[in-house]
Amino acid sequence: MSEAVETKVEEKEIDLAGANEILDHYEDMPGALMPVLQAIQEHYGYIPEPTVHLAAERLNVYTSQIFGVLTFYAQFHLEPRGKYIIRVCKGTACHVRGANRIGDTIKERLGVGHAETTEDLKFTAEYVACIGACGMAPVIMVNDATYGSLTVQKMNEVIDKYVSMD
Amino acid sequence: MVNLTIDGKQITVSRTATIYEAALEAGINIPVLCYAKKLLPFGACRVCLVQVEQMKGRLIPACTTPVSEGMVVTTMSDEILKVRKTVLEFLLVNHVIDCPVCDKGGECDLQELTYDHEVVCNRFQGEKFNLETDEVNPLIERNMNRCVLCGRCVRVCDEVVAYGSYSFINRGFETKIATAYDRGLNCEFCGQCVSMCPVGAILPRPFKFKARPWQLKEVDTVCGYCGNGCTVTLGVLNNKVETIRFNDKIGVNDGNLCIRGRFGYSYVNSEERLTAPLVRKNGELVAATWDEALQAVADGFKQAGGAGLGILSGARLTNEELFLLKNLAKQAGTANLDHSGGECYKGLTEGVAGALGVAASTGTFPQVEECEAILAIRSDFYETHPVFGMVVNQAVKRNEAQLAIVADKRGKFAKLPGAKTLLHRPGQELEVLNGLARVLLDEGLARTEGVEGLDELRQALADFSAEQVATRTGVAAEALRETARQFAAAKKSAILLAYGLPYTAYSRELGIAAANLAILLGIPGRDGSGLYLCGEKANSQGVIDLGIMPQAGGLGAQAMLEAAANGKLSALYVVGEDVLTSYPDRGKVEKALDKVSFLVVQDIFLSPTAAKAHVVLPAASFAEKDGTFTNAERRIQRVRPGIPLPGQAKTDGAIFAALTEKLGGNLAFTGAEAIFAEIGRQVPAYAAVTFNGIGPQGFVWGGEILAPARRRLQPAGGATAVDGAFQLLTGSALYHSGTVSTRAKGPLAVINEAYVEFGRDDAKALDVKDGDQVKISGNGVELCLKAKVGNRLPKGVLFAPYHFAAAGINRLYKGEAAVAVTVSK
Repeated sequence: MSEAVETKVEEKEIDLAGANEILDHYEDMPGALMPVLQAIQEHYGYIPEPTVHLAAERLNVYTSQIFGVLTFYAQFHLEPRGKYIIRVCKGTACHVRGANRIGDTIKERLGVGHAETTEDLKFTAEYVACIGACGMAPVIMVNDATYGSLTVQKMNEVIDKYVSMD
Repeated sequence: MVNLTIDGKQITVSRTATIYEAALEAGINIPVLCYAKKLLPFGACRVCLVQVEQMKGRLIPACTTPVSEGMVVTTMSDEILKVRKTVLEFLLVNHVIDCPVCDKGGECDLQELTYDHEVVCNRFQGEKFNLETDEVNPLIERNMNRCVLCGRCVRVCDEVVAYGSYSFINRGFETKIATAYDRGLNCEFCGQCVSMCPVGAILPRPFKFKARPWQLKEVDTVCGYCGNGCTVTLGVLNNKVETIRFNDKIGVNDGNLCIRGRFGYSYVNSEERLTAPLVRKNGELVAATWDEALQAVADGFKQAGGAGLGILSGARLTNEELFLLKNLAKQAGTANLDHSGGECYKGLTEGVAGALGVAASTGTFPQVEECEAILAIRSDFYETHPVFGMVVNQAVKRNEAQLAIVADKRGKFAKLPGAKTLLHRPGQELEVLNGLARVLLDEGLARTEGVEGLDELRQALADFSAEQVATRTGVAAEALRETARQFAAAKKSAILLAYGLPYTAYSRELGIAAANLAILLGIPGRDGSGLYLCGEKANSQGVIDLGIMPQAGGLGAQAMLEAAANGKLSALYVVGEDVLTSYPDRGKVEKALDKVSFLVVQDIFLSPTAAKAHVVLPAASFAEKDGTFTNAERRIQRVRPGIPLPGQAKTDGAIFAALTEKLGGNLAFTGAEAIFAEIGRQVPAYAAVTFNGIGPQGFVWGGEILAPARRRLQPAGGATAVDGAFQLLTGSALYHSGTVSTRAKGPLAVINEAYVEFGRDDAKALDVKDGDQVKISGNGVELCLKAKVGNRLPKGVLFAPYHFAAAGINRLYKGEAAVAVTVSK
């Protein structure tokens, strides 16, 4: 193929064993693309490109089609994400009770705004519309743990806690 | 049938019709944008909204709504007009409206609709995205700022091409059509998306800023590459073919083309075309007058004497020219006449002819779309006949045909839904076919009524039990049984086998084995079913119909080359073929060409073969000829000249006629029409139609379903196993056809040199990466080739396409099914 057409991108070194295992389970199941992608994201923390090509080949689905699905749903992430995902609620109640200051604190301390990840892949910040805990506004979630009625000071304490963790 | 009323007109249409199709039948035009005849209804653009009496309260999309009994449809009213206008305003919100510099201008559906509906201003405002144009590849340019998200490119690439380059990505306002990871296009480059795009979002790059659509003269002719016989409509400006226009009105291809048909035309305009006769003087080829050149040829032929002359023809001449060539051979007194290397077509002329009494495919391509079961022998079928391949795609994807592939590699067909690949060791197709025949006989599934040679075949297949075949080929016995049963149960089925220069091994035997299977399955003569042996070149079938084969007592191509090398032939006349590049065993060809004392080559380029000639005669391309081609389904179609001949070049027919006269002959007929009539007198099948009676769909000689003269089973023999850790296959690459495509910019833009393809496992084991130079040795020859890594090839199997002269694949390939080779870096 001439150089002009060559657009293949260097595949990053990714251990595909996990993805292969997931695909072993779903391979003969028609319409299994969504659970496969969710399982891959669960395993790798995001959807690495080589796993998309692998899934396309093994499920016999076009790569373009998988990419269409991945970009349609907000739940899928194409870039590596932090170990700790901080979801900052910016719903009405939290907004009124100072969610912006909580977001700013994270930005100041960790240097990440919405949908950004720290370089050490430890933290990802995400601003979300509402996590359904308005009584605890302003509220954030770090992975599955919820922290409510936050102040800037409390937010700093939460960050300290996670910074000191592995 | 269903009765309904559209705009007060009572009409009766098929139950499966949509409102749009019903209206079209009644001559009522409903505007559409996302609708395309060959694609499934989609309903994306909402331009076709109509009112239906029974579905009050909302407007109904005509292109997706099926008709129902008593439906009353109104296609135009103030309300409809208002809504359509609004829809157009919406479509134009994000559109760049850069019509002055858009190549689609003048034939853009959006432009037409906007004009027709007088959308002079837009009440809505929105973001113009300013997306980057995809100019990574040299053939297809994508400017998504002009896209209206009709999805026609996405759908055609999936439904017809089965490649799946495109998808809708993102959502809401950000939705756009893109490739995976939104990169530059990197695909088959068939350009189906170009032909489907209703706006200027996807355009052919070679045509950019070349002409306005209305300036082009359109000439309907037949593609000069493969035996598929696709209609190509030349877009001609100032005596130059500037583009191939979309045309789904006539011909057999429904507007579909492959990269060769759509982007492979540029060789006809090439500066390298031969424009004057050349005669060798003092060792140099120098320009000469026609008279001088023809006299030299006539003298040379006379000197060689009838039996001392051999004629090798290509299969891209028109039927009329072939007729004149045969005449010329007679005039020159030689019976040594042959084409395409002499071996590859024997599956048809000996195999199928022996079995059925006719040397041709028995059905037509469109029938295959309705088949329940399709057996493709060799995965290369899609590579050699891509547009027929698209028919298979549609049969499988749309009509759920069962597809079985007997192949030594996993080609594109293998990815079709439900496709089953009987993956065998290289060169073992024959064994698998025999195995299938044996299962049919063993399990009492064969149709044996009126079939000759049953006992002989039973005996011949004694060693071809499913288990024995499984051991030899690597195809599971159960898979063979299952496939045989599946085909026995199918009402309509098709067997496909492509033949051509790179597939000479077991050619005759494969034809026999395929015919045996077809007979046992009751395929020949059955409605909707067919056995398809498809030739590699545009007129491969015509060459056989016209009998460009050894005449009584004459030598075949291979025998001619041997005789020439031994000094028994003193003159060779090579017409429209680069034998040095394309024939198997270049060493043998070289010896013959070097030894022969008089070599005449008639071609459109100074090919490596022509460079060795004593006289070179400049001929014409398909785009300059008037006549007929017969495609692989026996369809005789008109070839029409779109551009004048370059320089002093003449058509092959004119050269044959002139030479015949120089040799003292006298032709009583001139012009394609008269010659065609004369062909009819000698080839009865061609007498059923007159030259001017050949309609837009061509004329299929022998009828859509060719009735076999007999059903005779013949023993096919077995295949010999190929040893060696690595086995090299040669064949056709999708982007090329024969050697002439290596002079065309389109195919060259994608593949510009020979390569050797590795499967991933082998590549990993050998530490070979894409683009590495590797040495391949076999048959005492070592070649240095660029490596390409793919996922098609099983372990130990390598593939190299044969089109490129410089690579010399045919130094190594001598006509075997596979060559045992060693690989080193």
